[in-house]
Amino acid sequence: MIKMLEIDKLKFSYDDKNTIIDEINLAINQQEFTAIIGPNGSGKSTLLKNISNLFTPDSGAIYLDSKNLNRIPPRELAQKMSVVPQDTNISFNFTVYDIVMMGRHPYQGRWGRVQDRDREKVEEALALTDTRQFRDRDLNSLSGGERQRVIIARALAQDPEILLLDEPTSSLDINYQREIFDLLSYLNQEKNLTILVVSHDLNLSSQYCSRLILIDRGRIFAGGSPEEVLTEENIGQVYQTEVKVRQNYLTGRPYVVLMPGRAECVPARLQQDFKIHLISGGGTGQELLQQFYERNYHISCGVLNQGDSDWELARRLGCEIVDIAPFSYIEESDLQRNREKIEQADLVVVSELPFGHGNLKNLEQLSGFSDKQIFLLQERNIAERDYTGGQAEKLWQQQLDLHGTRVFTGQQQMMEQIDEMADRAGDCS
Amino acid sequence: MQIKHKYLIVILCTLAAVIISFIIALVHSSTDIPLRTVIQALFSAEGDLARYAIIIRRIRLPRIALSFLVGSGLALAGVVFQGVIRNPMVDPYIVGISAGAGTAVTFAIVYNLSFSFFYFSTIPLFAFVGALLTVMLVYNLARVGSKIPVMTFLLAGVATAFMLDAVRSFVMVLGTQDLQRVVFWLMGSLSGTSWSDITMILPYYLLGLLPIIFFANDLNLILMGEESAHHLGLNVEKVKKLLIAGATLVTAAVVAVSGSIGFIGLVVPHIARLLIGPDHRKLLPLAAVLGGVFLMLSDMLARSLLPPMEIPVGIITALVGGPYFIYLLRRRKSESW
Repeated sequence: MIKMLEIDKLKFSYDDKNTIIDEINLAINQQEFTAIIGPNGSGKSTLLKNISNLFTPDSGAIYLDSKNLNRIPPRELAQKMSVVPQDTNISFNFTVYDIVMMGRHPYQGRWGRVQDRDREKVEEALALTDTRQFRDRDLNSLSGGERQRVIIARALAQDPEILLLDEPTSSLDINYQREIFDLLSYLNQEKNLTILVVSHDLNLSSQYCSRLILIDRGRIFAGGSPEEVLTEENIGQVYQTEVKVRQNYLTGRPYVVLMPGRAECVPARLQQDFKIHLISGGGTGQELLQQFYERNYHISCGVLNQGDSDWELARRLGCEIVDIAPFSYIEESDLQRNREKIEQADLVVVSELPFGHGNLKNLEQLSGFSDKQIFLLQERNIAERDYTGGQAEKLWQQQLDLHGTRVFTGQQQMMEQIDEMADRAGDCS
Repeated sequence: MQIKHKYLIVILCTLAAVIISFIIALVHSSTDIPLRTVIQALFSAEGDLARYAIIIRRIRLPRIALSFLVGSGLALAGVVFQGVIRNPMVDPYIVGISAGAGTAVTFAIVYNLSFSFFYFSTIPLFAFVGALLTVMLVYNLARVGSKIPVMTFLLAGVATAFMLDAVRSFVMVLGTQDLQRVVFWLMGSLSGTSWSDITMILPYYLLGLLPIIFFANDLNLILMGEESAHHLGLNVEKVKKLLIAGATLVTAAVVAVSGSIGFIGLVVPHIARLLIGPDHRKLLPLAAVLGGVFLMLSDMLARSLLPPMEIPVGIITALVGGPYFIYLLRRRKSESW
């Protein structure tokens, strides 16, 4: 087998911070029909733009016919490699014939004098793509699939050795998708054209291509035949979604079946079903509030003094709040309201708040819930934030003995535990 | 074959239009001179003809020639900018050329500055240099590394033009006694043209024309989109820069002697495109001739409508071009150009 294209330790980033392509090594042999697949943002289109010399690699190199691609003069490169870009909109009224003839540009002189050979090649390209009937039509009067075929015809008129396509079927109906891939397959087998296509359609790629390259986060995750690449594990890992892989009994190729999530199986947090009651104050609950909010939990707070910074944030995030006037003490009626919230909650979280006589009742009340899931955050010892002369510390220690109560010394660990609880609370398991 | 046929007809019609408008412009002005006398005066300046010979040879001929040059230059630059920026609503002034020239000229008039350089007298010199400096500024504002994203170029041009126009207005407020001269220049006019105006700008004009001719075919590829053009083997950034430089030079040369004459650079490319399609190898020559004829006739009207007064020709081009452009817009069926 003759190597057509060789990618050697390619690295690329748009700016210095975000590496898009993180060292890719790949060789494409002559007459291969290869698809680069991968999730959105995995770097597959960027890889194609590097291969087509639109971008220059940060390091590493790409060789076409053993020549460094970046050093091949543009015209010469266009004679060997043609590219069908993703966007085929052209806002000026050229006829189909004019556009396909532009594919001959790398072979023409300065003023584009058309030679017999150019005409032959254009006719051949029109015939191959079945676009002869549109020859004098404006490109913009054609449908998406027809337009795509014209652009492929232009690429073929370049008489390339290798054809690159960027998502050639992304906006097409299935009949056009099949049409385009049938055409590519024909060109590959009958015209010995090497084809490299970037696609997000796993099944089309699997049915038509002899080789798949699965890209994830700028690296090659797997490469080989469709059977080797399209496994449930690979796709599960890269796309983070559950699929089943079956065999298409007509073609023998693997076929990826998406497993739809059942409506009743939506994780609890998406439905805001997981209820957390937060006891905090003096700003100690801010980070927790923020994190609960971002995870879509249903949050209630209490008992908080109005004007407290936790109260401010909770109000802004739209939480339910049991509140009392600033600097006042918690009364029995407030505790009653708070009790309702605690009873409704799946979990009570107590932040590292300082306790004084004003809010001690918050802690006192918790001792009545022996079976309730209660998480206490304690990075700082309770003694250091007890301003009640030992009462709070005593209640805290008693609380620790309760069946449902757990204490965490790190917020991170606590969050992980909460997330796990919330996921379990959904109906999926 | 039908298409070739159409091209031939269009060429013949425009040639006829050039000749007819040339004759009309020569004959008709604030005072009409009969065609027979015109022809005689072209070849002899004896006796009675002496007076006509001066009018024809020293006043009307250079003015007609310049109006043709200016008109075709603006139309060419319009085609190039519309093509490179791939936006049909662009005209040659969009990148700040007229604002730069106008501001520089206003300074010169209000502060009575006087310089000359290489045949350039004060006002054309200021206009020319002001235009070039402005485009260079806009170009550098829009540059990202070695690339010029066309949209940024366009927007930088618009923003710079706004600022320069503000500066110009401010200078105008300070120098109210010269307002009339400034306003007259800004409206664009060809009055007082002599052969020296033509020899003054011709070298720059021709120099600017070179890349436009040279890269006419490549401009077609750029219309396909810059990525596609790249894939078709074109060094897009290089071609784009040279085309912008060429169109800028032509426009600056033209603005130096005529002020900012509006609408030709916007409308004529469209008319030409409707007649002949978007292929720049045909479009550019046709637009050049149409632009020349259009300004030749507009200037003839400017001279002759209200004698002895002259109407600034920019008013005529806008009044004639505007409605026609609106007509084209209304008639247009498809979304593309």
